[in-house]
Amino acid sequence: MAQAVADWGVPAKGVAAIERELARLRRERQREGRASRARSSVLDLIVFATREVHARRAAASIAELSRRHPSRAVIVLADRDAPSEPEAALTVRCDVPAPADRHELCYEQVLVRARGPIEPRIASAVIPLLVSDLPVFLWWTGTPPTGAHHFTQLAGASSRVIVDSADFARAEATLPRIAALCTAGRGRYGVTDLSWTRLTAWRELVAQLFDVADFRPYLAGVTGLRASYAVDVDGRQSHPSQALLLFGWLGSRLGWSPAEPLSSSEAGGHLFRARRVGGEPFPVRLRPHYERDLAPGDLSGVRLEAAAGGRHAMFDVDRVDREHVCVRVAIAGHPVLERVHVLPPPGVVELLGEELTIMASDPAYEEALAAAVSLG
Amino acid sequence: MTVPVNPLREGLRLARTPDPAAVVIFGGSGDLTSRKLMPALYDLAHLRQLPAAFTIIGAARGAMSDEAFRAEMHDAVAAFSRHRPLNEEVWGSFASRLRYVSTGGTGGYDELKHALEASDAEHGTGGNRLFYLATPPAAYAPIVRSLAQGGAARGGGWSRVVVEKPFGRDLASAHALTEALFEVFLEREIFRIDHYLGKETVQNILVHRFANGIFEPLWNRQYVDHVQITVAESLGVEERAGYYEQAGAIRDIVQNHLLQLLTLVAMEPPAAFDADAVREEKVKVLRALRPVAAADVAARTARGQYGAGFVDGDRVLAYRRELGVAPDSETESYAALVCYVDNWRWEGTPFYLRTGKRLPKRATEITVQFRIAPHQVFSREASAGLEPNALVIRVQPEEGISLKIGAKVPVQGVRIRSVNMDFSYGASFVVDSPDAYETLLLDALRGDATLFTRRDEVEQQWSFIDPIVEGWAAGSAPLGTYDAGTWGPVEADLLLARDGRTWRKP
Repeated sequence: MAQAVADWGVPAKGVAAIERELARLRRERQREGRASRARSSVLDLIVFATREVHARRAAASIAELSRRHPSRAVIVLADRDAPSEPEAALTVRCDVPAPADRHELCYEQVLVRARGPIEPRIASAVIPLLVSDLPVFLWWTGTPPTGAHHFTQLAGASSRVIVDSADFARAEATLPRIAALCTAGRGRYGVTDLSWTRLTAWRELVAQLFDVADFRPYLAGVTGLRASYAVDVDGRQSHPSQALLLFGWLGSRLGWSPAEPLSSSEAGGHLFRARRVGGEPFPVRLRPHYERDLAPGDLSGVRLEAAAGGRHAMFDVDRVDREHVCVRVAIAGHPVLERVHVLPPPGVVELLGEELTIMASDPAYEEALAAAVSLG
Repeated sequence: MTVPVNPLREGLRLARTPDPAAVVIFGGSGDLTSRKLMPALYDLAHLRQLPAAFTIIGAARGAMSDEAFRAEMHDAVAAFSRHRPLNEEVWGSFASRLRYVSTGGTGGYDELKHALEASDAEHGTGGNRLFYLATPPAAYAPIVRSLAQGGAARGGGWSRVVVEKPFGRDLASAHALTEALFEVFLEREIFRIDHYLGKETVQNILVHRFANGIFEPLWNRQYVDHVQITVAESLGVEERAGYYEQAGAIRDIVQNHLLQLLTLVAMEPPAAFDADAVREEKVKVLRALRPVAAADVAARTARGQYGAGFVDGDRVLAYRRELGVAPDSETESYAALVCYVDNWRWEGTPFYLRTGKRLPKRATEITVQFRIAPHQVFSREASAGLEPNALVIRVQPEEGISLKIGAKVPVQGVRIRSVNMDFSYGASFVVDSPDAYETLLLDALRGDATLFTRRDEVEQQWSFIDPIVEGWAAGSAPLGTYDAGTWGPVEADLLLARDGRTWRKP
């Protein structure tokens, strides 16, 4: 266990000591030829984790990410129930992890390990450790305690809060809380969900179809939507947040409203009806489906059915294997377009990397989330 | 019912994918197509940036089946794509929209017209057409005329034509070429490529100047002593001797790349970052260039040709010994000139431009050297190590910016030395920059001409270059020589020495 703590870097007490220690470590790495001389930080990242395994996973992701986003990461490991520490205790360790190849960038990592009931003190320990005058991102691993004081304080110090609803126990119940968080943060910080980021490529592929002028009229005549998402083999864990956000996105862009509340269907998914402005209700099916190579919740297929000018069209985007998706369009039963794209499910590193390039709130996400939540 | 805009586009994170379109590449069997264009198109497909409805037609004179063309392009893309190894699934769906049309025989252009109509009908390309002229320049005018005569030039959507460099070899030929294109296309449909403008760092010059508030106030004759722009290559003439013998460094690099870099450094802030606003300001710089009168050619230009020498530790041949070069060739492989931009901002500030082959290393950079502090507060001994402030914009390799400033050496008493404050793009953003051709193809498909040169720019560039070429032909500024692997002929050093200055060593 001693080893496990030591590899988080050297201990230091007080902000000045940490800065001194980081500067010394930087020089050491440069002397060893293991780090670039340039230290050009572009952002601060606060990671909040309640379990060491999550903190370590986050640290590994950020280290990889530092290729694209040189940063200082302050990882807060809040172990509230640590039995050996009845007293509240904060310890800090810092490191300049040596990159695998010497041309990589300088990345600084600070671990704030908090034991016991220390929530009121966390923000005061973290905020002075940030490199001044850079955008601050808060990555909350786990379900955010939206009302809690320490969460509000850390979110208030950030320009963007990143969560991952794939980790939430019950996404349908938690998404409204994220929506409330968006409202609370308006004008101060943006909120995003890595499950939304997982949809970026899917949204792009669906949207590209309707750049074709001949297909565009079908958007006003949607007669059905089906979104399939992966579940594990026994189907117990269902994470419909990506499918819900996809529905929310289409609904917010195309002016749909729910014709009835979200209800569970027999197969563990959701079946409900939505309505477009001035149109007939049409069925929406969010369908869990076992996929061997996908993480639970990942989208595996989208089908839009629509009618226009007396003709029926089907627009499909389907995952064909772990690496590829296929886009197909059939009109009146005749295939008119088929394309294969490379689209492996993105890892946390890519997802986080994409979110770190966005500095403000993402209105498309907020509207999609609001539409998904309106299903109630 | 027509729906004018795609409601799903709003809020997407990728830049807008272009409209559905058919791309016709003339010179489909040529080197540029297999090394640059097809790999760039495949890379765009790989990145999901091509429209859902998209076809490519390779056109050339020789006969070839679609299958043979696809096989040839498969190997080319496998060798030159940024995304290797080739993804066969993506290639498969990319190749299914790839066709070949022979324009050699009679009826070739009819066949092309039919292929384009079939593309609209079967693939939904909507009558939008991008013609890419990747052929030798002599073929541009005949191709465009045949397109019009065969009725293939327009299909009910937009039509655009992309023209490769060199765009003419002097003002008269550039003018004639534009006139030939005008028989069929409008200026806003003509996209003249200068692939330098597709480079990330070149676009960054504008960001650097106009997104920052602190540089622009210093960016004028009052604070700038002079500017140096260098495009140095370590390569020799390689396989391009046939073209290069006719062009020389002045047509190959100075007329286009160097003058374009000059316009980006010297231009006034445009009102917006759009094609016309940016190009309007660029062309004003070209119009303000002080012409090189016949009598000034010797004083304002220098040229040279490389002899044998060493580059990267290897012995290399003299220019005249290269394959395809005349043994008594007078073609310059190095050119340097002094330019003045005669306007309010730059009056009297020299811009020194140079380019050459077989220089010690490959480097493209712009140095803005500022004037020295007006009054020397510190003693002469203390400031012996002080150089004037200089801002260096490195375009390649290792893109970045460095600022040279004076700082006190940490000893007792005052001793001042110059230090470099270095910013490297690579140290702040590690991303694969897109290839210039990807950027430019995508821009042409989107109809964004900001990074393409407009007619008046090209013609102003030639008007500036032509008198220099004529002066050289008449024997002014005689051809100097330099050993391969050195920084050019002594004549180029003298050019700056007259002004009491020296070339920077990149």
